[in-house]
Amino acid sequence: MTVREKGYTHWEGELKESRWVWFPLTRLGIKMAFQKRFFKLFYFSTFLPALIFLAGIYISERLEDFRFMLRGSPAFLKITPNYFKIYLSNSLFLFILVLVMIFVGGGLIADDLRFNALQLYFARPLRKIDYVIGKMATLSFFILLLSLVPGVLFILFKLLFAGNLVFLRHYPWLPLAVVGYSLVLTLFFAAYALALSALSRNNRYASLMIFGVYFISDIIFNIFYQNFHHPYLVLLSLKLNLQQVAAGLFGLSPPYAVPWSLSLGVLLGLVFLAFVILQKRIRSVEVVK
Amino acid sequence: MAIRSLSRQPSGVFWASWRDVFKFYFFLGTHSRRPKLFFLLSLVPLAMAIIFKGSQIIYGYPRFSGLFIYSNMIMMFFLQFLILLLTLFFGTSVCREEVEGKTLPYIVTRPLHKIAFLLGKYTAYTLLVSIMIIFSLTLSFIIMNLDRLGDLSLYKVLLRDGGVLLLGIWCYAALFTFLGVIFKKAIFFGLLFSFGWENIIQYFPGKTQKLAVVHYLKSLLPPLSQEGFPFLLFRLEPTPRGEAILILLGLTFFFLGLSCALFAGKEFIIEA
Amino acid sequence: MRAVVQTEKLSKYYGNVLGLSDVSVTIEPGVVGLLGPNGAGKSTFLKLITGQLKPSLGEVKVFGQPVWNNPHIFHQIGYCPEIDAFFPDLSGWQFLKEMLRLHHFPEEEARRRAEEVLKFLHLFGDKDRLIRSYSRGMRQRLKIAQAIAHEPQLIILDEPLNGLDPLGRRKVIRLIRRLGEKGQTVIVSSHVLPEIEAMTKRIILIHQGKIFAEGNIHYIRDLIDTHPHIISIKCDRVRELAAALVKEPEVIKIFFTPDPQEIQVETQQRDIFFDRLQQLILQLDLQVEAITSPDDNLQAVFDYLIGEK
Repeated sequence: MTVREKGYTHWEGELKESRWVWFPLTRLGIKMAFQKRFFKLFYFSTFLPALIFLAGIYISERLEDFRFMLRGSPAFLKITPNYFKIYLSNSLFLFILVLVMIFVGGGLIADDLRFNALQLYFARPLRKIDYVIGKMATLSFFILLLSLVPGVLFILFKLLFAGNLVFLRHYPWLPLAVVGYSLVLTLFFAAYALALSALSRNNRYASLMIFGVYFISDIIFNIFYQNFHHPYLVLLSLKLNLQQVAAGLFGLSPPYAVPWSLSLGVLLGLVFLAFVILQKRIRSVEVVK
Repeated sequence: MAIRSLSRQPSGVFWASWRDVFKFYFFLGTHSRRPKLFFLLSLVPLAMAIIFKGSQIIYGYPRFSGLFIYSNMIMMFFLQFLILLLTLFFGTSVCREEVEGKTLPYIVTRPLHKIAFLLGKYTAYTLLVSIMIIFSLTLSFIIMNLDRLGDLSLYKVLLRDGGVLLLGIWCYAALFTFLGVIFKKAIFFGLLFSFGWENIIQYFPGKTQKLAVVHYLKSLLPPLSQEGFPFLLFRLEPTPRGEAILILLGLTFFFLGLSCALFAGKEFIIEA
Repeated sequence: MRAVVQTEKLSKYYGNVLGLSDVSVTIEPGVVGLLGPNGAGKSTFLKLITGQLKPSLGEVKVFGQPVWNNPHIFHQIGYCPEIDAFFPDLSGWQFLKEMLRLHHFPEEEARRRAEEVLKFLHLFGDKDRLIRSYSRGMRQRLKIAQAIAHEPQLIILDEPLNGLDPLGRRKVIRLIRRLGEKGQTVIVSSHVLPEIEAMTKRIILIHQGKIFAEGNIHYIRDLIDTHPHIISIKCDRVRELAAALVKEPEVIKIFFTPDPQEIQVETQQRDIFFDRLQQLILQLDLQVEAITSPDDNLQAVFDYLIGEK
């Protein structure tokens, strides 16, 4: 007698390997984020600063019409690389990014750990690197939409409102700075949020860690700086490191007298640490003794 | 297993429920990994105190007195960051931990009053946070004032600060317990409240600042020195101490009462 | 006999979704099986009678008392949830002892009971290991342990045999029968008829949020036995087999499928049919590749019983 069959049919299609195996994870992550209550409202409200900055660009080209609003300080609306740096690295913007990370990133790996979903993922033709890329791409989507897209649009609208390319002739490297700094922001925040999410099975706990580590670093800097006044203490603060790098990439003097490359080094070091954590924590089977 | 005749303790009694829930969650709090990590976090001010004092002893710098650094920096770190973070986690845990961990069926099918459960767990977790904070505060205080430990008047400061932090812990924990009962994403709203609302509103002039819990806590403390702190641009317009204490206690009871009422009437649907 | 659980026009809606509709049932002491396909409303029913959910309409009484927000009643109730969830940082021993402490047992009594029930369910050797490290079967037994350790009069087990190996299943089935023999009331839910059959003769059939049959299992069996079954046979020389089967009185219909080596036979007397089929296979010396019953699942039986087929 031949082997008995239970009645299911074999799939007879052609098995094709996709080069974008991580993409379903990304798509799912984005979809799940928008399914959360209040997230849509929250996320769309985070574009408010971008709209205000866009209005600023418009006004800068119509200074004569808006002189009554400026009260003698038109310098404020002079569009220079500093304007872009302010948008992309001001404390409120970075705080918003932290909140987005909490909303989207807190449970991104923690929930998979809690529900033992990693076993299911890795039972498919998906490698650890694909998993990490898939999750990072989810976070990158939200960060880039808030940083890179407005940054590029600001340049385009500046050119459109001006009706000439003078602005770009003055700062030909500006698009690169916008892209570069957006990528730094994306790499740092995505790796940071994922690593902290991977450290716990509890979404709430991971969210608090994402928030707590970011802010505690800044508070500790403030307290120490008030006492020791040493500029190198800036390396303790995640927020200030990001602001130092922003200043460096936009060709401005950093707020603290420390080479911005050091801050970049600190951030890249943290990204490396995050990948070490991800490498250790993402396993399909956990052995509990 | 032999089936025995049932000999029960006086059952379902409110206080017995409270007591047993308290014991269970206090035990759980001291045996879990997460509270241990939060305990480590609560030691950050202690580490700062050690660095400051060590630097003062070795280099004579910073030049501020130990009491000044303690009151203006370390105490503020406790008040405006640490207790918020800890109570946010433990307060929202009171309800959300059971729902997210899907352990609620084990609890609600025991002879426990729902209200006693909520209060017992709230008490256990809040006590746990209080112990962490007071332990770290006391050690930080002692280290920063090593040279003046014989001065008994100094301990009044420690007692006052400890009292203020305890009031803050119990009030914030009640508020976050309430958020945990009503919101799935309680932590997010808690963060917005703690580090958005509280941080901004307290610096508003006039009566507006009274809409922040931290205003009443700060009203119980002497005004901060502005020396070396140019970022403190706004002046606290304190509420009288007695009134501030009553309002803090009132808020604690109000949010706890609201949480109890909602929790007792609410059904939590645990997805399989 | 006095009613242990009594529901009157009990209904539960999750928003617009119907969980349970107009259920009036009385459950008396002994073992009762709650049988229904996945999503039938079994868990909703069990959550309503354990006070985890508030009825949208109607009422539920356990031992004559309302159950919603009535903590006293839970001295008499033990509940084993379907969900595989525990307090992550506790060992099996700590979990069980603490659950007993929540029943207000003194420390010593809680220890004694925890030890006894762990031994009984063969978990004592692993009592100090973290629950996270337990196998699925061990966790299942631990869930049952916490439901029976305080010796309740009413034990409610939601899919208690999930994840158990055959030996574990037999032990749990034996335990449930013993609890019933001792006069305790056990309500067990399952979607597997033979599992329920092994535990009890009393059965409640639930489907699409409604109870549409309750009583002795023989009655249900009879209904199921008269349900026309379709049996698929894959072998060589299927037409020869079909010719032989046509002569059998228990065969109602024979279908030929696009597969030249398959026929489907409809019968109302499954047991007799299978006996006869075995004989024919030997007589005709057929090479059988597969014998399956495409509609032999609870859903098909339910569909038949409620007249959808």
